[in-house]
Amino acid sequence: MNRTGFFALPALAVGTLIMAGSPAAAQDCTTKIGAVLPTSVDWGRPIAETAQYAVDLFNEAGGVKGCKVEMILRDTQVDPKVGVDAAKALVDLEKVPLLLGAVSSGVSMPILTSVTVPSNVMQMSCCSSSTAFTGVAEEGKTKGLWFRTFATTRNQAAVAAMLIRDKGYKNVAILYKNDDWGQDIGKLVAADLEKIGVKVTANVAINDGQPSFRAEVTEVLKTKPEALYLAIYPAEGAAVVREWVSLGGTQKMVVANSLRSDEFRDAVGLKYLGDVVGHDSAPPRTDAATSFVDLYKAKFNSEPNGPGLPNIFDAVMISLLAMEAAPELKGDQIAAQVAKVTDPAGMAVFPNVDGLKAAKAALAEGKSLSYTGGTGAVKFDKNGDVSAPAVGWTFSEGGTSEQTYFTLSDVDGFIASISK
Amino acid sequence: MIGLISYLVFFLSGAMILAIAVLGLNLQWGNTGIFNGGVAAFFGAGAYALIILGGPDRPGELGGFSLSYPLAILGGIIVSGVLALVVGIVTARLRHDYLAIATFGVAIALESLVRNAEYLFGGAKGVRGFQRPLEAAIADPFTYSLMFLGLVIVCLLGVYIGLERLVRSPFGRLLRAIREDETAARALGKSPANVRLQSFVLGAMIMGLAGGLYATFYAFVSPQDIRPILTFQIWAMLIVGGAGNNKGAIIGTLIVWGGWVASGWALAKFAPADWQLYTGTIQYILIGLVIVLTLLARPRGLFPEELTVSTATGPDGPVKPPERGTVSTGGQQS
Repeated sequence: MNRTGFFALPALAVGTLIMAGSPAAAQDCTTKIGAVLPTSVDWGRPIAETAQYAVDLFNEAGGVKGCKVEMILRDTQVDPKVGVDAAKALVDLEKVPLLLGAVSSGVSMPILTSVTVPSNVMQMSCCSSSTAFTGVAEEGKTKGLWFRTFATTRNQAAVAAMLIRDKGYKNVAILYKNDDWGQDIGKLVAADLEKIGVKVTANVAINDGQPSFRAEVTEVLKTKPEALYLAIYPAEGAAVVREWVSLGGTQKMVVANSLRSDEFRDAVGLKYLGDVVGHDSAPPRTDAATSFVDLYKAKFNSEPNGPGLPNIFDAVMISLLAMEAAPELKGDQIAAQVAKVTDPAGMAVFPNVDGLKAAKAALAEGKSLSYTGGTGAVKFDKNGDVSAPAVGWTFSEGGTSEQTYFTLSDVDGFIASISK
Repeated sequence: MIGLISYLVFFLSGAMILAIAVLGLNLQWGNTGIFNGGVAAFFGAGAYALIILGGPDRPGELGGFSLSYPLAILGGIIVSGVLALVVGIVTARLRHDYLAIATFGVAIALESLVRNAEYLFGGAKGVRGFQRPLEAAIADPFTYSLMFLGLVIVCLLGVYIGLERLVRSPFGRLLRAIREDETAARALGKSPANVRLQSFVLGAMIMGLAGGLYATFYAFVSPQDIRPILTFQIWAMLIVGGAGNNKGAIIGTLIVWGGWVASGWALAKFAPADWQLYTGTIQYILIGLVIVLTLLARPRGLFPEELTVSTATGPDGPVKPPERGTVSTGGQQS
């Protein structure tokens, strides 16, 4: 630049005059956003990849306010100290107005209370499902800066119970991941099942990283359940199910979306998974060309199977649309626009390049949007929680296929019926 | 600029809290030779005790004591001390690697306990809702973080000065005598078992203080905060800084924790875009490499233990240490 500076400067000025008004010229500026995700963990890396892909799509559609979005990614190592420090560095040193993450609630929570809220930065998590966040929000301590695109465990547990009810199982044993999400969902599913007259024979915690789960599996086997409910992650899930099946346990299982993974299917073997049905938040009921699944397949050449992928995709898209709509790139101003881009009465927006361009044009005219992404037409409540329609799915040769669809009113109706 | 200062204040608060825990370990390992593999347990006991004693009521869970902050943090220190007393008595006959494995087991057990006993410790979702002292009165977050850093530094200095005096006192000499040769110390009429227990409990109480400050810092604690990686981090800080040297313990903390977070920052900033997904893994390799290289180049740490001559108070006031050169220790004195 220095060598040619003498000539380049006038040329640049002329160039700018010619190019003025075209989006390409405006792309010279950069808007930074931060992401704190566990990239050093096997299931965390695809989440980060998907986040980056969503940012790339948004940039293809012209970026935020004509500026290219740069996502600065930091690893949390699933260590709260490391995650909070990374978040603080992003907020203080890089001045990001938006932070995506973290995955674990145990990391997201201290980031929320000691970094993002005091610094007026909006935080959106793909995957933190702890009910504790609802509590913080109800106390007004999130200042409206907190959102998550992961259906609350309340919503997920209800869908699990509905699947078990529809299958007609009468005795079910529950195995849950021994973390905040697993403990929550294990407890809620058990309570829901009792309410609808299904007996819970065992409710057993599965700790990460054990070489064998024989003790847990044997304990459950003794209770002779008719079916299993599994809320665990792929690596442990594969180990548990293999031991379970090899000891002669039933192959009738209902599983959480965390097991919607190729890794799990391949490790166990499709022939043992014929009677498995899973639950997940539903992708939108739209034609294929606009769906997240197809976008993902086109980019990564595989199904988006793995925890949190559509959720992080939506978290990025909703946040960036809100940034586009915000008068200034300040945390509270962006957060205030989230409702505008997820307004059920707004213009439906699909997250491909054309859809995003149309969305930005509509925002420029002051219209509201109904973002319809990987987890459906998302809508947040006042606590930043999302509830979503759900699907039941089964494993298939190519990945998974949808079997049943539960509308939001189905799910809410069920929750209302059992809370009587 | 303000951003940089704000970050540095935050970083230093975290690092100084860890330094307090490293000082506790230095008393146990550096001075007494007690191989504590369960640092996370005593740190965690302090953190959980503070947040339960000082926090608000949580429906269906232990808590709601709402003690004032000084009492709550003192409670954390005492709980850590009591835990160490029990562990210390039970493991009294264990040495070296056996003791390390036993204490490591205690830390794992404590993590499992807080993860599973939801009615007591909140389970995996952790304990939140703690109101930081004076936070409501000081509206500006930056001013508050400065004040908190001040509190942490006061605690660190208090512990540092206390330990410096302790290791230079006859009691410090006794600790080192036991570290070097327990049988010889017993032959001189000392009770190594007793002294080891005192050192273990005192070190654990210092870790409990660090844990309490840590829980205050985040106003939150969960089982994720007390995983075995914490024990490893604290040990790495002490080994790099120099076991047996309090100054080394603090500087080692700054170097290891600084390197830990700076490597993440630098990789995010300078690594090529295609590598960004793998920076987390690269960071782990770098951290391991730094520790190994330090150990190869400086086996006794960056600040090796100094030879000290303990002073005692005699009938005519403090007994002066002998003049330089009159003691044939062969090393430097201070």
